[in-house]
Amino acid sequence: MSEKVKCDHCHLEFSKDVMIEDDGHYFCCNGCQGVFHLLSDQGLDGFYKKLGDEKLAPPSQQYEDSANFNAPAFYERFVSVNKDGFSEVSLIIEGIHCSACVWLNEKALLNMDGVIATNINYTNNKAKIVWDDDVVKLSEIIDMIRAIGYNAYPYDASLQEEKANKERKDYYLRIAVAIFATMNMMTIMVAQYAGYFTGISAEVKHILNLGEWALSTPVLFYSGWPFFKGMYYGIKTKTVNMDTLVTTGSLLTYIYSIYITLTRSGEAYFDSVTMIVSFVLVGKFLEALSKKSIADTLDIMGQHLVSDVKVVENEMVVTKSVNDVVVGDIVVVSIGDRVALDGEVSEGSGNFDESSLTGESEPIFKQKGDAIISGTVSIDADIKYRVTKDYAHSTMSNIVSLLENAMNNKPRIQQIANKLSEYFSSTILLLSFFTFIGWYLYSSNFEQSFMVAISVIVIACPCALALATPVATLVGLSIASKRGILFKEAAQLETMAKANVLTLDKTGTITQGRPEVVDAVLLQEFDTSMLYSLVLNSKHPIAKAVANAIYDEKLFCYELESLKNIPSQGITAMYNGKMLAGGNAKLMRTIGVEVTSCSQNSEFYFAYGGELLAKYELFDMPREDAKTSIAKIKKMGIEVVMLTGDHERSAQKVAEMVGIEKYAFELTPETKASYIDKLHEEAKTVVMAGDGVNDILALASSDIAIAMGNGSDIAIEVSDVVLLNDTFSSLYDSFKISRRTFTMIKENLGLSLVYNGITIPLAMAGYVIPLVAAISMSISSLLVVGNSMRIKLGYKD
Amino acid sequence: MDSWVIGMMLGVSVFLGSIAVVALMWAIKKGQFDDQEKFLNSALFDDVDELNDAARVEKKKKKAIDKKKEYRPE
Repeated sequence: MSEKVKCDHCHLEFSKDVMIEDDGHYFCCNGCQGVFHLLSDQGLDGFYKKLGDEKLAPPSQQYEDSANFNAPAFYERFVSVNKDGFSEVSLIIEGIHCSACVWLNEKALLNMDGVIATNINYTNNKAKIVWDDDVVKLSEIIDMIRAIGYNAYPYDASLQEEKANKERKDYYLRIAVAIFATMNMMTIMVAQYAGYFTGISAEVKHILNLGEWALSTPVLFYSGWPFFKGMYYGIKTKTVNMDTLVTTGSLLTYIYSIYITLTRSGEAYFDSVTMIVSFVLVGKFLEALSKKSIADTLDIMGQHLVSDVKVVENEMVVTKSVNDVVVGDIVVVSIGDRVALDGEVSEGSGNFDESSLTGESEPIFKQKGDAIISGTVSIDADIKYRVTKDYAHSTMSNIVSLLENAMNNKPRIQQIANKLSEYFSSTILLLSFFTFIGWYLYSSNFEQSFMVAISVIVIACPCALALATPVATLVGLSIASKRGILFKEAAQLETMAKANVLTLDKTGTITQGRPEVVDAVLLQEFDTSMLYSLVLNSKHPIAKAVANAIYDEKLFCYELESLKNIPSQGITAMYNGKMLAGGNAKLMRTIGVEVTSCSQNSEFYFAYGGELLAKYELFDMPREDAKTSIAKIKKMGIEVVMLTGDHERSAQKVAEMVGIEKYAFELTPETKASYIDKLHEEAKTVVMAGDGVNDILALASSDIAIAMGNGSDIAIEVSDVVLLNDTFSSLYDSFKISRRTFTMIKENLGLSLVYNGITIPLAMAGYVIPLVAAISMSISSLLVVGNSMRIKLGYKD
Repeated sequence: MDSWVIGMMLGVSVFLGSIAVVALMWAIKKGQFDDQEKFLNSALFDDVDELNDAARVEKKKKKAIDKKKEYRPE
């Protein structure tokens, strides 16, 4: 083993003899070398100082032509013009993983003529770039980003995401005011209560009341504005909601307190106004914070859509927008391209990656006459195909529009707290109204009756009720995240607790998603290094699995000659004058080696000089903890179903191995989704766990979608829950935690209702003095918070 | 103690506090907290060079705007 050195650009370590040496610098590849020189030419080598010991991914050099970015169709969709006449685009930059990367990108772009401003967000890798389109074109900007070793693709920074950000910011502002006022209010209240017990001069009390008045005004009308709006919409749709109760309660209390202050009689309740508004606002904010936007998901999806294709027209290849391609056109697909439209191969042959549709990672060989489906990627095929469906009807754009649909219409189970608050609010308002009438008839004292009626609303005002759900879910979420389970929205804990069916994808979810050698038959003694050197030359998952299985420190890499990759058969090469061959039975027959195959598993044969030396059987094994976890989930009373795009035999085998009785096979992305819709029709709440692009429709139509942490970006985006540590036991944990949290929510709601059941009658009878009101209010809130903490019991980590 | 003293102290302290709140709100509105990582790392990238660069970018922007105006007087 020779000495290892670090690449001067990406800092990855390789042995010295494979490195490119250049003027005392070492590089692992031409890409790194190129970037390094570019940066020193541009005077940006300060980047390496800032980078420190961080490692980078070596730059890739295969990109589609950037000229596509200058197409008018593209500009129309993604580029906007700001008021100064500059163009603006939002990009997602790939490869950013430290602040030095952000620095480099911003610097390099700003060094370009015509780029006016760049702002890259480190947290979500989104960038906004402003440039003068007369001086520089977007394609040059993208080329620059690629040249320094990153990649960029545009996204539609459409209204939704902007709106969500704006909403969040709005909440921050309102909460800042509310918390500031509440804290000041508390200090004043210390004086007020001290005075209540030990005596206070009317003059001082009046001044304190004025101070409270000043503090509570911005809280009610600025911080509390969302409630007023909520009540307005409630009235418009003729529903009584929590907002109605909060607004009427706090507004009436506010007016009443002003009256008290001005007439200098009795006790003012300004503190209740600020407290209620602040508490409920924070609860509402917690809900809004965790809401994810659909827009983000569709941005990532955009990557999988091709906007331009190469079409053969009059013997010439021209680039056309996908929307202009008509049925019958001949489209050219080169290595690495993504297919944009459905069609039929008319010339050439090669392998395609169809994992986005089937979930299976094995390449599919296509030749003349075979159907070609949009969304698949050419691995090594340079072909021409005849378009059979226009863009709008092609599989991939169908999936996108279905996805958009499914996400917008995602079933939302009505949350128990919302339902409750509706009944609760109307009951309280009615009760307070009747209290007023009753007292007025009984005592004919308007002032006293009004005061009692208000105290009913103040007492009932739902601090504890508003906190009941958010606090419990927050505790649940934090426990879950400690165990590597990421719930994207708090309300999902509640939905998940009600789930009664779990559907699972096979490949990549139940199984590990890559074949493993399960059986090796060595027919003769042979030099394993020969096999190792051969399989290293293939990127096929089976060859990789064999390489992994036989890997050993002592192996060498031999020089092989005339290496050939035969699509969907195997690899051959010459070594010491004889032929090495590794592949399936078909390949063996082609080179004249007799084999008898009868296994259910994939097989890999190895022959040297026409003699069969070894046979390996491979199988995509289920994850280790799959069987026990599935048994535990079943025990909770949840029905487990497996959905797979694979054929019956392997579906059955895996189902048996992990103990699933019910399974459906040979499903397309659409039929997976419709299977779930069917379950919905039976009034079931469905949890779907998946990992691939082929699962996204099913994920989007399920009530709760769970993605494996190593799944594709889109699957993770579409999902509500992500299992970061990628194990099956965390799937079970997520069920357990959500059920426990749901129990706590119910207990909390019960507690706050019991509290109200005791205090409201007291208030109606006119027995509530401000001190009792304040104490009982804080006690009920504390009870709810304390009870929520109990979720943590039993999770000691 | 005269009660106006209490009133004045109350007023002054709330006023001072509200200045801080308004400053915070201004910073939120300007987007200073939008990217928490960048916000925390900004101290590392706060050199003379960075300031010069920022000034240069401002100038460049101004020049570009002026040029735009020459092209299309509106």
